[in-house]
Amino acid sequence: MQELVPHTTAIRPSPFSSLRARYFSTPLNGAVTLVCATVALWLLWSAFDWAVLHAVFGTGQREACLAAEGACWSVVSSRWRIVLFGLYPFEEQWRSGLACLVMGAVIALSCAPWFWNARRLPLLWVTGFATFYLLMRGGFFGLPVVTEQNWGGLSLTLFIFAAVCILGMPLAICFALLRRSKLPWIARTMALVIDTIRSLPLLSIMFTFAIVLPFVLPGWLTGDKLYRVIVGYALFFACYQAEIIRGGIQALPAGQEEAAMALGLGYWHRVGYIVLPQAFKNALPPTINQVVITFKETSLVTIIGFFDVMASGRAASGTAEWNFAVIEIYVFVALIFFVFVFSLSRYGAYLERRLDVGRR
Amino acid sequence: MSDTAIHIAQMQKFYGSFHVLKDINLDVARGEKIVICGPSGSGKSTLIRCINRLEEHQSGTIEVMGTALDDNVHHIDEIRREAGMVFQNFNLFPHMSVLDNCTLAPMLVRKTPRAEAEETAMRYLERVKIPDQARKYPGQLSGGQQQRVAIARALCMNPEIMLFDEPTSALDPEMIAEVLDVMVGLAQEGMTMVCVTHEMGFARQVADRVIFMADGQILEQAPPAEFFGAPRNERTRAFLGQVLGH
Repeated sequence: MQELVPHTTAIRPSPFSSLRARYFSTPLNGAVTLVCATVALWLLWSAFDWAVLHAVFGTGQREACLAAEGACWSVVSSRWRIVLFGLYPFEEQWRSGLACLVMGAVIALSCAPWFWNARRLPLLWVTGFATFYLLMRGGFFGLPVVTEQNWGGLSLTLFIFAAVCILGMPLAICFALLRRSKLPWIARTMALVIDTIRSLPLLSIMFTFAIVLPFVLPGWLTGDKLYRVIVGYALFFACYQAEIIRGGIQALPAGQEEAAMALGLGYWHRVGYIVLPQAFKNALPPTINQVVITFKETSLVTIIGFFDVMASGRAASGTAEWNFAVIEIYVFVALIFFVFVFSLSRYGAYLERRLDVGRR
Repeated sequence: MSDTAIHIAQMQKFYGSFHVLKDINLDVARGEKIVICGPSGSGKSTLIRCINRLEEHQSGTIEVMGTALDDNVHHIDEIRREAGMVFQNFNLFPHMSVLDNCTLAPMLVRKTPRAEAEETAMRYLERVKIPDQARKYPGQLSGGQQQRVAIARALCMNPEIMLFDEPTSALDPEMIAEVLDVMVGLAQEGMTMVCVTHEMGFARQVADRVIFMADGQILEQAPPAEFFGAPRNERTRAFLGQVLGH
């Protein structure tokens, strides 16, 4: 047994020695490690102290909060419904919650490879979206109607996000294909449109669609402000996503389309069965990136007066009763975003590994 | 039906101002096997890619199985259904299994029911001796196997003519024979074939006519015995000297 000890250490260094090699190889290195570790520990400890040790939990603990040094989670447990559901009528908020769960399930399900084909994925999103809309809007089975003006919070954020994806993705595919058109004037016009919209800030596009458009369009075309903003945002999303898809298409070897042509496949068959499936596979990481950005940037609609999850958060801490607990509400809203975005990016990393295996 | 499979007359092709194919005249009878050879850049690949409109010619006539190749999309589709093509780089669809590669076009273009298309595909995969790979993906196969799948895929459309564009050039030497074997088998069954290839042994064995191209022109065409035995054109002799010398 004695002989075995040096043998194993030679093959695999112990955790302690690799720690030493990495962080304490020279005196300077050791000093830097110590300083950094101290700062990191101190930061972690202060956060823990604030968020847990000195924090106030439980509903309606305003007085205790004012006295305490730590976080006031009481504001979250008292006002979370406003953050999640905005101005939605209190008795009907279960509908809004259920709708959010449905949309969350749709997002989670579309990560499963089984849904990755041209029929299942759109079907899943359209059904999920319709369920979401019917639940939120009501007007059947004795559910009272709740108009879009009263939607808010997380459910509004999810609604805008889903609507932009459902509208924007097919639009993006159209744009990408048109930009690759063999007719030069179509390809150039499309390029001009894409580049113009991409060079405008999202905020100005939203403003234009929400506020300027009603002056220009005939009344029957104007629609609700919410839908105008969604259309504008979808257009913006489509222009970015179109360039991502076009990149995916250009990464395909020319032989792929030639082989499909030589087999007698027409344009739509080539696009639907050969080009797009491979282009999307190539473009998956940037596509996920774009979706994540789209989710986060929905909070820009606050500026035109919508109560998305950000604005509702501010409203939740905006009363005289809770106006001191701004940070806690922002941490809560940040956590909501974090849950969605972090799981999406983890999923992106999983996808890349998976596709690498498939490619071999 | 006429005996002519492919009729090309006074065909010219340009890339911009560059004259790639100069006054090509070529008739291929049904069941005839043609081998086209020549130095690289001589336009031989361009020529057979013109036959199914992967490249567009600027003037002259091309007719395939009696259908004129013009700007009419239906004529182009008709010709592509009748002429199968095998590429240098296989060009299998990497996101589909071998079987799906073979059934896609018959199901979409010929509207063959899936069961029937799969049956046909398995028959051709057996013929190219890889029925056991049907469920695999192209990336899991060797180059030789991929090229045999590509041949089976083209055959599944029941073409009258097979066009081969340097089918063995991208293969490792030990895999060339298995692909050539399949091609020889096809030739013996009477398929009309136009092959661009440097495999002179194959040309000797199966070709009815060997065509030598250089600088976008057909310089010499003759049955293999005559072509290899007594080439008339000086450039043919130089080319054969280089190809056969090794």
